[in-house]
Amino acid sequence: MRWGPALLLAAVAGVVIFLVTVPDWSLPRRGTQLGGRASSMIQFAAGPAEDKLNRPPPEIPAWARDIRPASAAFRNVKVLSDLNAGEFMRLQTAMTQWVSPQQGCGFCHVSGDYASDAKPEKRAARLMLTMTRHINSAWPDHVGAGGVTCYSCHRGQPVPAQVWYWHPPVPGHPMIDGQEDYHETATTVRKFFPDEGFEEYLLEKTSGLGQSQTPLPSGQAVSQIEVKRLYEVMMQMSDGIGVNCGFCHNSRAFFDWRQSTPQRWTGFSGIQMTRNINRDYLVPLAAISPLTRQGPGDPAPRVGNALANCATCHQGAPKPLGGADLLKTFPELKGPDPHVALSGPTSPPG
Amino acid sequence: MAKFHSLYTSIAVRGPDEAGIPLADDGFGRVGGAWHSSWLGRIGEMQVFPTYLGATGIASLICGFIAIEIIGLNMWASVNWNPLIFIKMLPFLSLEPPPPKYGLSLPPLEDGGWWLTAGFFLTAAIILWWVRMYRRARALKMGTHVPWCFASAIWLYLVLGFIRPLIMGCWCEAVPFGVISHLNWTATFSVRYGNLFYDPFHMLSIVFLYGSTMLFAMHAGTILAVARFGGERETQDIVDRGTGQERAALFWRWTMGFNATFESIHRWLFWFATLTTLTGGIGILITGTIVDNWYLWGVEHGIAPEYPRVGGLPDGPPPKVVIDMRQRAASPPGASR
Repeated sequence: MRWGPALLLAAVAGVVIFLVTVPDWSLPRRGTQLGGRASSMIQFAAGPAEDKLNRPPPEIPAWARDIRPASAAFRNVKVLSDLNAGEFMRLQTAMTQWVSPQQGCGFCHVSGDYASDAKPEKRAARLMLTMTRHINSAWPDHVGAGGVTCYSCHRGQPVPAQVWYWHPPVPGHPMIDGQEDYHETATTVRKFFPDEGFEEYLLEKTSGLGQSQTPLPSGQAVSQIEVKRLYEVMMQMSDGIGVNCGFCHNSRAFFDWRQSTPQRWTGFSGIQMTRNINRDYLVPLAAISPLTRQGPGDPAPRVGNALANCATCHQGAPKPLGGADLLKTFPELKGPDPHVALSGPTSPPG
Repeated sequence: MAKFHSLYTSIAVRGPDEAGIPLADDGFGRVGGAWHSSWLGRIGEMQVFPTYLGATGIASLICGFIAIEIIGLNMWASVNWNPLIFIKMLPFLSLEPPPPKYGLSLPPLEDGGWWLTAGFFLTAAIILWWVRMYRRARALKMGTHVPWCFASAIWLYLVLGFIRPLIMGCWCEAVPFGVISHLNWTATFSVRYGNLFYDPFHMLSIVFLYGSTMLFAMHAGTILAVARFGGERETQDIVDRGTGQERAALFWRWTMGFNATFESIHRWLFWFATLTTLTGGIGILITGTIVDNWYLWGVEHGIAPEYPRVGGLPDGPPPKVVIDMRQRAASPPGASR
């Protein structure tokens, strides 16, 4: 009796069972070709996890009609002064549902004195309301007519689930170069990448033009390190919105707009919009309600505020919340800010 | 006659210890006593040692040890000497080349200096190993084919880490030491220069690489298939064609009309393998130095077909945005963070 072949078979079976059962597998999804023939610009359908995350927002019940101006009905109204009292209360209820369903009104308001500004959360909420109105009026290129509400990012949590933190660099060793600040607890490679790319492209105004636009050297190709960050942040973006490179780009010539899909305009304006809200709203938010976090893999506490990236709102889906028309229910969340002029596509996308 | 398995080796010959021919050159000479391993006998020769070290071998091992030590200790230090995190993160740890600001000057140790030092010792180790290989081939009165194959691989290594950075004027152009980091470098490099697929020397390198694997499979399969007719004595069959050789030749002539000979197949393999890294090195060397965007180069030379335009987009981002993006913001974003 020879045991060798039997043992070998058992070992192979063990490896196969391990590979099938232990790692996280997902079934192949249906793909749609977006580009021309043989361009491999394929978008895969969303998986069950992303679908579950992006169901339409909860219904908000109507509030009693009350046409007094909000600023007359309530004291210390600073942002929503153009609403009537009925709309005002409906939005207040909705915001509680969207941001602090567990904590209730007391998350922002001092019990018994709703006009008080004592709690930093209330001052933060004012800034965030201004931001929401700004996004809806200034960035139709990205959020479309459907717009966003607090729920787009918060999803019933005071701090949105998918955020990144700016934090000061850990002081270096005098003799040894530091390592990349990987997210060690990540389950996929894309989530593993460091946050430096977010800092460069979603906070600083770093140019996204990395490839040379001329065949022969002209000094246009940027350094290897810059391209690495750009590559990482593009991967994080793809992961955040649940798409492949080919959703926007033809991967043979990433730089070339003439070979890109109209989705590239949405993505391009989205990068500018995220930079805008990080710089002008979320960084100042830190002065109002600073957060300090230390995750399991963090060498030092992450000081500063949670900042936004694509995943904050998209949560793995090309259209957050299934592309629901949110402004239809809450038109008051569209502010007076002018449309940021990116001098849009020459012809309508589609 | 012993049973010859054609899928795995079941014959392990244990003869008297083979000490090798007497040494003429230096005094370091042969080290280790012969011993036998039945496990190694399953995949190769049963006898292990003596081996030859010599001055170049010892120098090469010392340099290689220093290089690995610098890389490993840098990685370990960077996780605060935590052995568990070191093992867990090992594929992701990296020793990076100096940042662009240093150009070709000597950077401080913590800012790429260790990378430069490790690179120096690793290169010294590889070149000393090549010298040792060459000298061993001469000592055995062999041809020097193997050292020249190895030299082709060294050429690619030197282009990536030394020659191209010299031409580009920056150590930052070189490859980092690290498992994931060097893979990231490769992907980034291709994207940065507009897709290496359009680089003709990259194409050649791929042809030779894939060709090598195909030729290797054809040759190894052929020899194993005719081993039952004595065809594994292939070099003898070059001049004294046995039935194994005849059948092998006939098999390929019947299959594809033409066949290599027992001699020429080895030249096919030698050149395909050697040209893989030789052309690959040329492909890397001319990237960024004389061609900046391979896709656009391919368009100019008619090798990148035009696809129908998807439409709905301007030809590029708005000029004002491009200017904004080009200018890095001088002001810090926000008052505090």
